[in-house]
Amino acid sequence: MSQSAQSHLTLILDLSPKQWHLSSLEPDGQALSLLSFITQVLAFMNSHLALRHENTISVLGAFPRKSVMLYSTPGANDSGLDSTAPQDANTYQPFKTVDTIVSSRIMEEMESISDSIDSPTGLVGALSKGLCHINRVINPATRSSIESSSPLDPRMLILSVSPDMSTSYIPIMNTIFAAQKLKVKIDVCKIFGEDNVFLQQAAHLTGGSYVALMQRNALLQYLVMCFLASSSLRKIVAFPTHDRVDLRAACFCHKDIVDIGYVCSVCLSIFCSPVPVCSTCRTKFPVKTLRRFGFGPPKAVGNGTSKSGSATPQ
Amino acid sequence: MPPNRSNLDLSDSDYDEEVDVDDYDGGRKHTGKTKGKELPKNRDMGLGGKDGYSWEATYTRTWDAVQEDEGGSLQNAVEDLLARGRRRRLLAPTGAIRRTIIRHLVILIDLSSSMLDRDMRPTRFDLTLQYTREFIVEWFDQNPLGQVGIIGMRGGLGEKIGDMTGNPQEILKTISDRDKLLPDGEPSLQNALEMARSSMNHLPAHSSREVLILFGSLTTCDPGNIHDTVQAAISDKVRVSVVALAAEMKICRDLCNKTGGAFGVALNEGHYRDLLFEAIPPPAQRANPSTGGSALSSNPSSDLLIMGFPTRIPESSAPSLCVCHSELKRHGYLCPRCLAKLCDVPTDCDICGLMIVSSPHLARSYHHLFPVKPYQARTTIADAAPETCGGCSLAFPVPRVTLSDGSASGVSPVGRYGCPDCQKDFCSDCDEFVHSVLHVCPGCS
Ligand SMILES: [Zn+2]
Ligand SMILES: [Zn+2]
Ligand SMILES: [Zn+2]
Ligand SMILES: [Zn+2]
Ligand SMILES: [Zn+2]
Ligand SMILES: [Zn+2]
Repeated sequence: MSQSAQSHLTLILDLSPKQWHLSSLEPDGQALSLLSFITQVLAFMNSHLALRHENTISVLGAFPRKSVMLYSTPGANDSGLDSTAPQDANTYQPFKTVDTIVSSRIMEEMESISDSIDSPTGLVGALSKGLCHINRVINPATRSSIESSSPLDPRMLILSVSPDMSTSYIPIMNTIFAAQKLKVKIDVCKIFGEDNVFLQQAAHLTGGSYVALMQRNALLQYLVMCFLASSSLRKIVAFPTHDRVDLRAACFCHKDIVDIGYVCSVCLSIFCSPVPVCSTCRTKFPVKTLRRFGFGPPKAVGNGTSKSGSATPQ
Repeated sequence: MPPNRSNLDLSDSDYDEEVDVDDYDGGRKHTGKTKGKELPKNRDMGLGGKDGYSWEATYTRTWDAVQEDEGGSLQNAVEDLLARGRRRRLLAPTGAIRRTIIRHLVILIDLSSSMLDRDMRPTRFDLTLQYTREFIVEWFDQNPLGQVGIIGMRGGLGEKIGDMTGNPQEILKTISDRDKLLPDGEPSLQNALEMARSSMNHLPAHSSREVLILFGSLTTCDPGNIHDTVQAAISDKVRVSVVALAAEMKICRDLCNKTGGAFGVALNEGHYRDLLFEAIPPPAQRANPSTGGSALSSNPSSDLLIMGFPTRIPESSAPSLCVCHSELKRHGYLCPRCLAKLCDVPTDCDICGLMIVSSPHLARSYHHLFPVKPYQARTTIADAAPETCGGCSLAFPVPRVTLSDGSASGVSPVGRYGCPDCQKDFCSDCDEFVHSVLHVCPGCS
């Protein structure tokens, strides 16, 4: 353990009020309220910080149409600690600081949400901000000022409750490839709702793991057993392995998730039904091909009804 | 500049998009090559501007390119280089280029003792490894669904260095360890070619099979008649190209001519790189280099393809028979149409004929289609401007009061760069990262 690198955890909390409300309405034993979620996540954060003195953390919240950096371990640039809080002999001050900042920031943001409860969360924003943060923190020019010399081992954990956001398919994929380049593993814990196609791909492509909760009230145990170990430790301990990975994509035209798509050979745009002209690069497709796919004038383009069924195998 | 599309606000209509094809015309030529191209160019100039063989050249000192200022400091020179790089990136138009759907390439690297020759600096071997790395990154960028394998020629044998894979990281890893690849003995064209041919035997008929040989030797040490191998390559439709580092060999030239490949002898380091990178655009495109804006939309080879995105079955699942080899395997991919299990993608489903690809491979190239708008260098700090960067959420670095013509070179004197859409300010680290790696504006999404 002593030679393992200092690890930086970027935690992304999916804080969609609607999804959390639905989650708290689940039948007994499966219900998980936002408050109990936050308590358990705080305990997890504290255990990460307790593992090693140099460990750092940053917490991002994905609120409806918004993403906010809730907390990041004070580095060279930040002087985050508020010394005004009264000292309590029974608490470890650094933990208390993290806990109060994170929970009060979440409450602040939650209260400022007004009409946009239903809107999709700013997960992409949170992901990209997290990556920007990691990029700046591991940048050697900046790092020299942040005292430590041991290599930083950055990873990400997304605690997701929202369904797939197929509208942001391309940005999500772009962030995944950026994480790949930075060698950041993305772990995903699916707390509530159906499996997430794109987050599955994120974990798969970056070498992280995707875990869907079976027992929602045992969240903390899942977090500690599955996601506390640093990457160097993961080689040794039995780690949750990948289940099936769904490699589907979202079409460019309707943002539907498709398993069979029509792809422009020039720019590789994906469409859910045959189109005569590529909307991205304006390429016109040969009439012969379109006929083969059963695309004709009588059929209206763009209603998405003529999916894979009309396609003839070659 | 096309309207910003990075936030994916695509309308439902397929026809009212306003992407100007002419804007995209050949744009890739700048973006794709600027990364590494500057270096050899400079080096050419160091050679006195003539395109002679490198062994004819005079001694060059790369450090001559960097000049000290009056105070004897390199600071300004370095700043200038950075600023120029930045400006180049900002000015380079981004856009769509033609991508081939499925290509298969085996790179044969000569690892014979002739590669230790120092006529190319530092050695032919080191230069080849370095160029191969750059080549692979660029190749996958332009051929996202392609697969590359690497075979070495060493000690009279063909040596498998990297299996065919569609993951550039995996391939780069196989050639990252220089010590494992140290040149030794004689090369064998025949052995290596046979090995490359057999590794591409299983591929579907319509996918391309290409071999690229980086050859430094003037001899080949073969167990049989190499002309038989050439015939076999022709009948298998394997296209062989050779970049020779020493001189032209008849067998190499014949090999290329007969299989439809390209042959070239590298004059110097820069020329070597150019020859190598000529193999990146797909062959069809090279035959018809007119890829102007209007030609693009009427190009007969543009087509709409139907593709299936599979489900990946993990190593931990119960073994079952695959349809491609009829072998019991755990790992595999399920065809979305007929649920047949296939060993590897991209491929054609053996049961229903659907082309099966992994969608992330397609997605890898999408950032070219929807680039993030360049951020504008802020000249002053607005009154209401936040104290932290919109990307990394850290405080902005303290602005340095240097650089007289900072605004002209695209460098912000206050260290802030603003997104034209979301109006948020970003630090220079994030500006660089967003445009070169992330391709998502953290403020807009
Ligand atoms: Zn669609
Ligand atoms: Zn297109
Ligand atoms: Zn098989
Ligand atoms: Zn099939
Ligand atoms: Zn920043
Ligand atoms: Zn923006």
